[in-house]
Amino acid sequence: MLYIFQILNGLGLGMIYFLISVGLTIIFGLLNFVNFAHGAFFMVGGYLCYSLVALTGSFWISLLIGPLIVAFLAWVSEKTLFHRIYHLPHTFHILVTVGIALILQESAIIIWGPIGKNIAVPQELQGVVTLWSFAYPVYRLFLIAFTIVIGMILWFLLERTRFGALVRAGSESAEMVSLLGVNIHRLFAQTFALGVGLAGLAGILSAPIRGVHPFMGVEVLGIAFVVVVIGGMGSFIGALMGGLMVGLVQSVMSTVWPEGASLMIYGAMAAVILLRPYGLFGRA
Amino acid sequence: MNRRKFLESGLALTSLMFAPPLLRRGFAAEPVTFYGLKSMSGAFASYGEFAEKGSQLAIGDYKDLLGAKPRYVTIDTEGNPGRAVRKVQEAIQQSNARFFGGCTLSSTALAVGKEVNKAGGIFMTPAGADEITTTEFNPSTFRWTVPTYGAIHQTVRPLFESNPKAKRWYTITPQYVFGEALLAAAKGLFKQLGIEHVGNSYHSTQEQEYSGYLTNAMAAQPDVLLILGFGGNGANCLRQAANFGLKSKMTILLAWTQGLDWFQSLGPDLLEDVYIGAQYWHQVNTPLNNELVKRVREVYKISPNYPLAGDYIITKIILDAIAKAGTTDGRAVAKVMEGMSYEGPTGTETIRAEDHQVIKDYYLLRGKAKSAMKDPDDLATIISSGKSFPDPIKRS
Repeated sequence: MLYIFQILNGLGLGMIYFLISVGLTIIFGLLNFVNFAHGAFFMVGGYLCYSLVALTGSFWISLLIGPLIVAFLAWVSEKTLFHRIYHLPHTFHILVTVGIALILQESAIIIWGPIGKNIAVPQELQGVVTLWSFAYPVYRLFLIAFTIVIGMILWFLLERTRFGALVRAGSESAEMVSLLGVNIHRLFAQTFALGVGLAGLAGILSAPIRGVHPFMGVEVLGIAFVVVVIGGMGSFIGALMGGLMVGLVQSVMSTVWPEGASLMIYGAMAAVILLRPYGLFGRA
Repeated sequence: MNRRKFLESGLALTSLMFAPPLLRRGFAAEPVTFYGLKSMSGAFASYGEFAEKGSQLAIGDYKDLLGAKPRYVTIDTEGNPGRAVRKVQEAIQQSNARFFGGCTLSSTALAVGKEVNKAGGIFMTPAGADEITTTEFNPSTFRWTVPTYGAIHQTVRPLFESNPKAKRWYTITPQYVFGEALLAAAKGLFKQLGIEHVGNSYHSTQEQEYSGYLTNAMAAQPDVLLILGFGGNGANCLRQAANFGLKSKMTILLAWTQGLDWFQSLGPDLLEDVYIGAQYWHQVNTPLNNELVKRVREVYKISPNYPLAGDYIITKIILDAIAKAGTTDGRAVAKVMEGMSYEGPTGTETIRAEDHQVIKDYYLLRGKAKSAMKDPDDLATIISSGKSFPDPIKRS
C-alpha cells in the first residue's frame, strides 16, 4: 500500500514537473532559445497568485488571470528584447535570460519582501481522501486532473490546429515557414508567451503546496532542465514522460532510499543520456 | 628677515601643519568600529535584513565608548562562507578590524571565527552548529544561540511529559551537519525517555517536495512527527504535512525555527496547534525584552524577531565588554566576556567561560488559532522554557 501511495505521489509530482517543463521545451523546440528566465516566470506566477488571492479572495480568479498576465509579460519581453538575440549563440541567450531572471527575482523582493508567503488551499479543495492509514490531499488529485486536461488541450493545440502545425513546421525550418508567407516573428512571440504562460500556470498551481518565495524560480529551473533533457529537447510527449519519470523516481526513492531521492533524479537523467543521448523522445 | 629667522619660521609653520591630528588624537579617542556580518543579499537576505536592524539599534544606543561614539560597518556575507571570509580578511588587514558579530550560516561562522582568532579579535555569532563551542572552539569566538542539544531537550521533553502516551515518534531530517546533530540529540533523548523512534526520513537541504517522506511517516503511524529541518525546509514540510491532513492525525513538532518572521510567512491557519521550538519570542516577559520590544516598535514599527534580537544582544554584549575592559585589546575583552552575566532578551544570561557558550532559555511554543490572536504578531503561546546544555568539552 505504501508503494501505491508513493506512485500516486509520483504522478502528482510528475504532473507539476510536466507543467513547469513543457513551456521550456516548446520554446526550445521552436525558437532554439535557451530560456534561463523560465523559473523566474514560474515565481512571478506564484506571486501573482498570492496578490490576486489577497485582492479578490479567490484562487480561481488567480488561476484564470495569472497565467494571462505572465504570458503578456513574456510577450512584451520577447517583442522588446529576446527576439533580438535569437540569432546569437546560446551563450548570449543564457547571459540575457539569467539577467532577466535576476531582475525579476530582485523585483519580487522589492515588491513582496524577502520573506516567503503562504497561500491557502482553496476552500473547495481542502481535505484529504483517506484509505487505510494513508491520506492523499484533494488538492493534489485536482492538480493531477487539471494538468491532464491542460496536457490534452496543449496536445490538441500543437497537433490538431493550424497554429500547432506552424509551430511544428517552424521548429523544423523557421526560414521555410517564413518564405511561405507566415509572419514568423508573430509566431515566435505567441509561442514564447504560451511557453512562459505555462510556467506561470505551474507557479500558481504549486503555490498552495510549496508557498512562494523569491528564490523558488532558481530551485525549480534545475528540475525543469532535467525533465527536458530526459524527455528530449523540444518534445511535448518527452516533457510529459520526463516529468512523470522524475516524479515517480523521486517519490518511490523516498521510501527505498530517502537520503538519495533527489540524487536519483540526476541518476535517472544520467542513465537516459547514456542510453539515449538525445533524450527519450528527442531528435538527433 | 635673515636666514636664521626664515628657517625658524618655516619649522614653526611645518609643526603647526602637523598639529591638528596630534591635537585631535590627544583630546578625542579613535572610535571603536564594530563589524556586522550580515547576509544582506543572496538566499538568506531575509535574515540579514532583520539582523542588521538589531546591530544598528545596539550601536545607536551607545553614545560613548572609550571616549567616542562607536562606528558600525556592515559586511555583506552574501550567505557565502568563501566571500565572507575574504571580506573579513580584508577588513582585518586594511582597517585593523577586531570586533565582529553575526553570520547566518554555521559554515560561515566557523570559517570567520578562525580568521578573527588569528587576528586576536572578538567574534560572536547566533549560528547553530555545535562545533562552534566544542570541537572547533577558539578563544575569540562566542555563541549566543542554544545549540542542538538544548533545542531538542527543551522541546521533546516538555511535549512528551505533557502527553506521555505519545510514545511513537517519527523524524524527518535534513541530511547535513546541523540536521544530523539534531537527530543525534533526539535519538539520545528518545532512549532516555523510553520513546519509540518508529522511523526517520532523510532529505537533502534543497528539497522542496515532502510528499514521499510524509507518506513514509503515515505508514509508520506515529503519535508525533518531529520535523528537524528549519527555514524553507521546515516551512515546506509543515505546509505539505498540513495538506496531507497530518495535523489531525498526529502531533507535529518543529524543534528549531527561525522566529516571528517565519511564523508570519506561514500564518495562523497552518501553525494552529503545531508545536514549535524557538530561541527567542517577542512576548517573553523580561526587563530587557520589554524594553527591546518597545524600542523596536518605535524605531522600526515591527515586533522584534529572532535575527533582530539575536544580533542586537550580540552587538550589545561586545560593546559592553569593551567598555568594561577599557581597551580594544581582543584578549582583554575576551577575558571580560568569559563568565559575564547580563540581562538579555531571555532573562539573565551567562557566558560560560569554558566554551564561550551563552547559557540562556530555549522556548517551546504552540501555534494559536486565528480567533485567539490579540494582534497580528500574537501567533503562538509559550508552553515552556528552560536551559539545557551539555557539559563543556574539557580542554588541556
